[in-house]
Amino acid sequence: MPGNNVVERVRALVQTFLETDLVRLRIERDGGHVELRRRASSRLATAETAEPQTQGPPAENLDEIKSDLVGIFRFSRPAPVIGELLDADRELAYVEALGIRNPVRSLGSGRLVSVCCDDGQPVEYGQTLFEVARV
Amino acid sequence: MFKKVLIANRGEIALRINRACRELGVKTVAIFSEPDRESLHVRHANEAFCVGPGPAARSYLSIPNIISTALITHCDAVHPGYGFLAENARFAQICADHGLAFIGPPAEVIATMGDKATAKRVMREAKVETTPGTDILESVDKARRAARDLGYPVLLKATAGGGGKGMRVVAGPDQLERAFNSAQNEAEASFKDGRLYMEKLIVSPRHIEVQVLGDNFGSIVLLGERDCSVQKPSHQKLIEEAPAANLSDKARQSLLAMALRAAQAVHYSNAGTLEFLVSGDRVYFMEMNTRIQVEHPVTEMVYNIDLVKEQIRIAAGEPLGYTQADLKPRGHAIECRINAEDASNNFAPAAGTVTNVVFPGGPGIRVDTHIYSGATVPPYYDSLLAKIVAFGETREAAIARMERALRETVIEGVNTTVAQCLEVLATDAFIKGRYTIDFLPGLMRRDDAA
Repeated sequence: MPGNNVVERVRALVQTFLETDLVRLRIERDGGHVELRRRASSRLATAETAEPQTQGPPAENLDEIKSDLVGIFRFSRPAPVIGELLDADRELAYVEALGIRNPVRSLGSGRLVSVCCDDGQPVEYGQTLFEVARV
Repeated sequence: MFKKVLIANRGEIALRINRACRELGVKTVAIFSEPDRESLHVRHANEAFCVGPGPAARSYLSIPNIISTALITHCDAVHPGYGFLAENARFAQICADHGLAFIGPPAEVIATMGDKATAKRVMREAKVETTPGTDILESVDKARRAARDLGYPVLLKATAGGGGKGMRVVAGPDQLERAFNSAQNEAEASFKDGRLYMEKLIVSPRHIEVQVLGDNFGSIVLLGERDCSVQKPSHQKLIEEAPAANLSDKARQSLLAMALRAAQAVHYSNAGTLEFLVSGDRVYFMEMNTRIQVEHPVTEMVYNIDLVKEQIRIAAGEPLGYTQADLKPRGHAIECRINAEDASNNFAPAAGTVTNVVFPGGPGIRVDTHIYSGATVPPYYDSLLAKIVAFGETREAAIARMERALRETVIEGVNTTVAQCLEVLATDAFIKGRYTIDFLPGLMRRDDAA
């Protein structure tokens, strides 16, 4: 059955995703998409596949958080600070467009490495707003 | 006059609008999709904003991102160009609601003339002759009855249509159901509006259109006609010329009179084009395009007027400042559309990278283009690469100049329509100016058979 086929393919995708250090994986095809995001707890749940800590600090994956619309960039309060350890769903800022505040979230836990925009700055689609190290 | 205009388009028309703005001392904001980041229109504008990824639905048709760009860059007007949102009444209204002047007619005029069935009804009320036809047909059964009344052959058309999309010729009753369903599906996919109406098919007509300009004070002028009968089987135009060759005085007079009545009937303002089918001396209104046309340069050449600047001036509230009597055409102009297409494969679009480009020059030649050596042609958009326009004191001189210009043209890396245009120019039918909309499809069939 086609439905079972899709489930099997997603299951295989999740397994592959869990075997990597990826924080987020998005696959677009034929107008549809699948997106997998790693939450802090899921990393713990897969601890058995992680490298032992005795082998040194885990490698950092630098993740760019980009704007998906055009508007004015503003920090949320409290404003994020470089070096801050972020919760998985921390609201970092918002992009104001046509009077609507569109939140920008951390999309997973990590350490804030850089802030790429100034408060009040116009931003375009795809512009990098933050860089986060996923540890 | 406006201080800053957002250009809600891409390609050659975005550059064309940018040039008009610059010459008027108006600053510009370009929008672009991710694959268009290196486009010339982005480089030439004062500011540029990415509004989305490649697919037009998420970039050049993204009304929220476009309006947001206009507002955060403090634009006071939006020029839609052609295609994309140019004939979207909702977009024009949203611009107005946000205090942005839409460089085009008011939203209600776009809505009236953009709905082809409504437009025909309004034209009939204004005593403008239309092809015999129907209002919206809700079902195949209704279409079958209408076709029987009109008499085959008939033409099914999408009420939201344009560019030949959602249009089908139906020669007999056995073809009707299939044509109805495929036209409806195509219209739904292209315009999100699958409604169809039907017209009696005028066999082998010419496609001739009239350029109008109206200001916000009720003045309307006509800038003559353009013959756009050299069309691909998909009804997309390949070569246009102004004025139309071998058009009888009677046909020209009724064409111009009907165009004026039509524009007056809807209190038209800004630039627009009324399209007609001409068969002998009979003239039938087909549709109105409430925007600048791709082929506007041929009119500009013979009337020595900048239509895009006129659009901007009119939208800024300036009066026309001249009357019909002041407009005197001179000479003849021909435009060839150079598309990234494979003419040997039914004009299939050809995306890729343009590796080398040499455009023609010299007296009487104008090239409107956005491509350069190294430019990429994304697969997402219209395949138009360049418009080569030739002006001559006579039609013969314009043809000779165009032929010379096409032979100077080099575009490598993608297939183009240059050879096809040259082939058309060399035909007896084109040289004598005696061709109809069946001319190019017939020429292609002959090539296939050879």
